[in-house]
Amino acid sequence: MSRHRIKDVDYDDDDFYDDDDELADPEEQEFLQQCTTAVLQQLRAGQPSVTATKEEVQDALWHYYNDIDKSVNYLRGKREKEAAKLQKSKIQPGLPVPAYPAPPSTAHFSAADFFRDCPWLNIPSHRKSEILIEPLYPRLGLLGGAPENGGKLSKLAALAAARKKKEGEKAPSLSETPTPSTPKLEQPTPLDHSGTSRSLRDRLAASGRSTPKAPEGPGSLRRLATPSASSHPIPKRPEAETKRPSVPELSGSMQRVVLEAKEEPEPQQTMPTIRASPSTFASTIVGAATGPTAAEPSHLHSTSSDLLRIYGQDHAEPFDFAAPSPDDVVLNAQNAAKGMKSKSAATKSAAVKKGQSDLADGVKELSVEDKVTVKSKNLDVISEYKKSTRKRSANFVVIGHVDAGKSTLMGRLLADQGAIDQRTLDRYRREAEKIGKGSFALAWVLDQGSEERARGVTIDIATNQFETDKTAFTIVDAPGHRDFVPNMIAGASQADFAVLVIDSSVGSFESGLKGQTKEHALLVRSMGVQKIVVAVNKMDTVQWDRERFEEIEQQISAFLTTAGFQDSNISFVPCSGVLGDNISRRTNDPHASWYKGHTLIEELETSEPYTHALEKPLRMTIGDVFRGGVQSPLSISGRIDAGSLQMGDHILIMPSGETATVRSLEVDSQPSDWAVAGQNVVLNIANIDPIHLRSGDVVCRPSSPIPTITSFTAKVLAFEHLMPMQVDVHRGRLHVPGRISKLVASLDKASGAAIKKRPKIVGPGVVVRVVVEMDQAVPLEAPTRVVLRAGGSTVAAGLLE
Amino acid sequence: MADRRRINGPPGGTRPPVFASLQESSTDIANRAQRQRQPTELRKIFLKAGLIPTASGSSYLEFEPSASLAAARSNPKSLIPPSSALKLACTVHGPKPLPRSAAFSPNLVLTTHVKYAPFAARKRKGHIRDASERDLGVHLETALRGAIIAERWPKSGLDITLTIIEAEDDRWWGDAPDSHDASWGMMNVLAGCITAASAAIADAHIDCLDLVSGGVAALVSDDSSQSASSAPRLMLDIDPAEHRSILSACVVAYMPARDEITELWLKGDSSRAALDRNDGRTGHEALIDGAVDAARGANTVLAEAVRESIARSFA
Repeated sequence: MSRHRIKDVDYDDDDFYDDDDELADPEEQEFLQQCTTAVLQQLRAGQPSVTATKEEVQDALWHYYNDIDKSVNYLRGKREKEAAKLQKSKIQPGLPVPAYPAPPSTAHFSAADFFRDCPWLNIPSHRKSEILIEPLYPRLGLLGGAPENGGKLSKLAALAAARKKKEGEKAPSLSETPTPSTPKLEQPTPLDHSGTSRSLRDRLAASGRSTPKAPEGPGSLRRLATPSASSHPIPKRPEAETKRPSVPELSGSMQRVVLEAKEEPEPQQTMPTIRASPSTFASTIVGAATGPTAAEPSHLHSTSSDLLRIYGQDHAEPFDFAAPSPDDVVLNAQNAAKGMKSKSAATKSAAVKKGQSDLADGVKELSVEDKVTVKSKNLDVISEYKKSTRKRSANFVVIGHVDAGKSTLMGRLLADQGAIDQRTLDRYRREAEKIGKGSFALAWVLDQGSEERARGVTIDIATNQFETDKTAFTIVDAPGHRDFVPNMIAGASQADFAVLVIDSSVGSFESGLKGQTKEHALLVRSMGVQKIVVAVNKMDTVQWDRERFEEIEQQISAFLTTAGFQDSNISFVPCSGVLGDNISRRTNDPHASWYKGHTLIEELETSEPYTHALEKPLRMTIGDVFRGGVQSPLSISGRIDAGSLQMGDHILIMPSGETATVRSLEVDSQPSDWAVAGQNVVLNIANIDPIHLRSGDVVCRPSSPIPTITSFTAKVLAFEHLMPMQVDVHRGRLHVPGRISKLVASLDKASGAAIKKRPKIVGPGVVVRVVVEMDQAVPLEAPTRVVLRAGGSTVAAGLLE
Repeated sequence: MADRRRINGPPGGTRPPVFASLQESSTDIANRAQRQRQPTELRKIFLKAGLIPTASGSSYLEFEPSASLAAARSNPKSLIPPSSALKLACTVHGPKPLPRSAAFSPNLVLTTHVKYAPFAARKRKGHIRDASERDLGVHLETALRGAIIAERWPKSGLDITLTIIEAEDDRWWGDAPDSHDASWGMMNVLAGCITAASAAIADAHIDCLDLVSGGVAALVSDDSSQSASSAPRLMLDIDPAEHRSILSACVVAYMPARDEITELWLKGDSSRAALDRNDGRTGHEALIDGAVDAARGANTVLAEAVRESIARSFA
């Protein structure tokens, strides 16, 4: 376009030179003629000579600005390229590499043909890579199988369809030139398309079409394959025999058969069908309809004997698999027997009904486990207890700051009272010295755990018994370390009174006062302990300094009084656990001559007998669950808080709600038939799975179960600042996470009247009524002492309301 | 737990003792099974599809007892039958959805289980499938996978279970094992399994390219004298008990309408086959061709059985 515009403007004469066709400029044309003839001459003269049309030459000249040499070179090069291309295209059809191999000319494709090119097994290594056999048939087309009319074609499918259509147009031209040598046999359809990928569906459709109209030669493959022609396989290739002698035959004998077959026009008549009638066995399965013409006799018996007749079952019907199998019959019968209810017996007579309901009950009671039935002696436990001449028993818990010498003091007590024999003590002493902790030897009497011994601290409570002339004592040795206060609470809950051990050595007492001495004292008081014996330990380290003792006495008694202990229930004993002075014997140390009071053991014995709620319903907190031995596979230990218990009793474990039977029981390690509140017992129980038992669970009677609750109101004494906060609720062994949801009111200590309703926060030392909620249901009931702890310290303790 | 509901047989094989002197005796030679069929003659097959109503497809197949077995049954001379005839049952369950745990499959997932009944063979089989049974299962799966149009059932599974009720012997029971021994009976069993499974699949109305049938051919040398004429001959559908020595055998699974082999199993040494002078084929090729012929023969029975079962289902 732009060219024309320029032309119209007539801007420059040079513009006309390229439009020589249109311009009939005679000069230009003549020049062009001259150049053309020159080029053609040069082309013809060159080696090899090349011909070109006039138009081509003039084109070239125009492009090369009438440069003759350049035009000649260009035309020569062009001709050479064309020649090379032509040669290539001439060679291509001659190459014997079709996309698919030519269809085999025989009807049946023989294995021999297939492997003709392949030396079997002795393949030279250099040829191994070349024997890749081309797929015989067109592969299944991945594309082009999309529905023709239904649904929208995907792009890919559309592309494939277009390709298919294009190739379909080509295909007729190819197939119109059949090779005359090919026999006019109906080939399996996939074979007659060379290089045309076709969908599976097409092929199936094509073969389906071709089947009926297949021009069947006498031995065509189709005919054999067609089910209607139930012929023997042998006479299949007479035609192959005649037409293609190069096709190898099976063997000589087979050839003979083939020839015979050829002679007979209808091979089906002479060749027996290889379809057999069912054997005796098969006819039992298949049924009589297709039964054998003559029953095949068993090889074990003579002709006359029929296997079924032997067993008198000639009326036997074939099993048709529709009915339930013999296994099913048995299983159904068993299930029916198990599931039989008295309902089914309702129509029967009364006697039958009774018998069946008995059976049903019996079946109901059946279980995999063996029920243990323990015969109860039906004792009147309370009167038995009153009759018994058992010694007075007392539990006391030993509390105090860590390393105050609690375990050592108790070890000494036990050793002096003969509860531990001298040999054991000597062994402990040796072993303790071996690891360099000679002073811990006595503590090892109670600290049995390997970790406790290695660390030299008590971790869990340990109980031990010893007896004096008047009383049977149970020691509960509590850990002093602040990390194990929960264990100490568990121990304190079992105690009637407490022994507070105080380290009198310089510095230790003061640190203890700040530490667990106070906390423990507060805890035991809030757990309901009334009486406390203060053992001022390690007096030997301060040379039995009377002033030191009195200073401690003063401080501690002042504290204990504020904690709620009555003066009459507080007593002080200066002693030395390691030496044993003033424990069970008076000290010989002259420095201690000032002390005229009781020894520790005498002080313990002054405790008056404790009354327990024997008449109340049974309550016992499980302290430990263990395997007692072969005789008693499952045992629980603990202290009976209230009520009584005897052998054979059924008990209920809360919160799991499972019942169990008391197989036998031990009181203070002695077998007994009964136990009452206040006693430490081991119950050997049965008929319960151990997973329902945890320490902290409560044992009660099924008739009066302890309620499990998730929230309670308690009147507590605050040790720290209290506000709605997360706390741990402790009761004996039991401790569960919970939270103070509400501070109801702060109360007057003496009267219990409300001072301030709904305080937001209360300080230490204030009695307050709180509502505590817990995440899980916990067995708790009204007069229970609970301790609330948070962040590793005791924040409050009090009474559940 | 022991199986207490059934009366179980002894755990091991219970073959009566056979003495070497007895084997040499002429009477026993007479007892020996002899092939009385032509080399290219097939045993008759009984095949019936659709027996088990609880399965989506099923079939039962048995081979006609060989002439010697039939004779021994009618007029028993010994407690031990001279040969055995294949009996097997096939059930097809599916197509059914794959379990949730299974990975996605765009095709029908084929599972084949071949199990000998404990009493099927002369040596008792255990209740757990052993290596040979699993091997048969794999062969069968290969044979069927080529025939089933698996892409029509995505996310589906097809369980094919074959129970061999009576298996074929590997050799005559009185023969001592020799160097040519292999589990020849297994090949007959596989051929039967293929045919029966094909019938059961058709009975389950599962789309296939063609009915695939199994056929066996073998090179056997029957003459005891080692003369030149005793070169191994090609036989179709051998009963291993009828031959002294089987040199090699071949099983094919064959689809006649497409002229395709889906499974090929060759065993033994076929280099010494005595073929016709102008027969250019090697022994292997002759074996394969023979097996294909046998499979074609089986296919006639198969086609008829399938037609019957279809007719019954529409009746």
